[in-house]
Amino acid sequence: MSASPEAAGTIYDIGYRQYDGPRLGRRGAVMAVVGAGLRAIFGLGRSGRSKVIPWGTLILATMPAIVAVAIRVLAGDLIELYSYDSYLWQIGALLPIFVAAQAPELVVNDIRHRVLPLYFSRPMSRFDYVAAKLGALSLALLSLTLLPVLVLFTGRVLAGDDVVDAISNEAGALPAIVGTGLIHALVLASLGLAICSLAARRAYAAGAVLAVFLIGSVVGEILAEAGGFADVAPFLNPLAIMDGTRQWLFGGSVAESPVRAADVPLALYGLATLVVTLGAWAVLAFRYRRISV
Amino acid sequence: MPLISTRALTKRYPGGITALDGLTVEIGEGVIGLVGANGAGKSTLIKILLGLLPATEGEATVLDLDTATHGARIRELVGYMPEHDCLPPDVSATEFVSHMARVSGLPSGAARERTADILRHVGLYEERYRPIGGYSTGMKQRVKLAQALVHDPKVLLLDEPTNGLDPAGRDEMLALIERIGRDFGMTAIVASHLLGEIERVADWLVAIDAGRLLRTAPLASFTERTGQLLVETEEDGELLAQRLVGRGMQALADGRTVVVDIASASDGEYAVYDAVRDEAVALNMALVRIEQRRHQLEDLFRTGGTDERVA
Repeated sequence: MSASPEAAGTIYDIGYRQYDGPRLGRRGAVMAVVGAGLRAIFGLGRSGRSKVIPWGTLILATMPAIVAVAIRVLAGDLIELYSYDSYLWQIGALLPIFVAAQAPELVVNDIRHRVLPLYFSRPMSRFDYVAAKLGALSLALLSLTLLPVLVLFTGRVLAGDDVVDAISNEAGALPAIVGTGLIHALVLASLGLAICSLAARRAYAAGAVLAVFLIGSVVGEILAEAGGFADVAPFLNPLAIMDGTRQWLFGGSVAESPVRAADVPLALYGLATLVVTLGAWAVLAFRYRRISV
Repeated sequence: MPLISTRALTKRYPGGITALDGLTVEIGEGVIGLVGANGAGKSTLIKILLGLLPATEGEATVLDLDTATHGARIRELVGYMPEHDCLPPDVSATEFVSHMARVSGLPSGAARERTADILRHVGLYEERYRPIGGYSTGMKQRVKLAQALVHDPKVLLLDEPTNGLDPAGRDEMLALIERIGRDFGMTAIVASHLLGEIERVADWLVAIDAGRLLRTAPLASFTERTGQLLVETEEDGELLAQRLVGRGMQALADGRTVVVDIASASDGEYAVYDAVRDEAVALNMALVRIEQRRHQLEDLFRTGGTDERVA
């Protein structure tokens, strides 16, 4: 906006100004919702309190990688604290917490306070809206499912005596790291948003997300210990389903994961992941189609 | 070229409710009052114009764009203020309106600038940085209006904009709408069931009833003279009416009021006044009031929308 010389005298009533700049249409609308979603998830431009959980979990998730790198630098190859394969399983508890705390921010208030008609009366469809929210949460989740493992990767490369050598040693793990991170982010985001879209308040949504992850894994463990249903147990826990899928696609088992105790073809985990994700999308489609404007 | 036109527009909801029933209307520029009782089909019409609801039959165009096929483009150029509450309580007006500007497709810099402008135009100042949850109803209505205006739409669709406001709030909202129509170069379609309010801001009316067009005309023609003289007397008017009829005029008494058809006097309007005066004197009858009877907006609906009212 250029300042014209006579503008100084007319501060109080400058009259209505029309807009004839660019209109970015549907793409602009989707980008705006993704951007606002990311800001909401990480509490940017909000109170310090709303930053605690997203940044706290992010730091906690990355800390082991930093420690592992530090130990490697100091102690060399003596101890292998974290492998790429087991990293996500070991920080697993942080993922439901992040989703439970931040996914409700994205969807619950828009439904509860009937803001959606304002979105749908703009150049964006219901599908665009849900896709944008899903994109925002998935991107945010990559800060837990991909970033820490990339830190570990980078540290290992840089800690090596010969960096070029280290890159050629470690680079083979990259597809698994990126693939696993993407799958975890997308599945968690889909499941989290689907649960939240059904809740009337943010607190209920958070509770429901935690319940789905906690109850599944606890019941699974009880079944495995007491009843010998070790084959069923991992399918009750979304994190185990994703770990099984990771093993199916990229290999590398994890000692603590219930996938190890179960004796089922790994491809079943891939199928389960697909079912969970498509199921979540079906719930979202159903939920948002039902909202009248 | 009309900004909005519908042709045989029909909307039947599942369950058999017909909200719009073959509505054909053309709407030009200005502040347009879309009047009708609750359930007349106003909100349904607005949602079809926004491309949010498909019509069962017929078609509608906004800015020459077909609502069935160009909904997204229309929604870029139209602002919509819903009837119901639609604001999240935990963000500020500034944050919310500029977000909505971006969702309308404005780049972030333009969104910020226009948000500041528009919030000032609707009369929100320091409070715009506070969370909306603490606003009064009047302030919330202003935010709702601001989000509909912020992307500089060509057409504004306002659904019951004075809903829930106290008298002072209504006055301010109506003054704002009037100013938008006059200074902002936008066409505003104001849906309302409150005729008294519409009368104050609209320069054209579209009246619908049970999903059908009752009448569309400039506001003035809704309230024009009926060609009748209304005479109110202190006692029963029957005698006066009989005497006027005896003078060759058409007059009808209804309790203490007498309605005289002005055109029925062969010597013109003033002869009617004279006759009423003379006969009242002859009868020694006190007159309370004599006035030219005007159509009232309410007449439209009082008759239940019979065909004779359709222009």
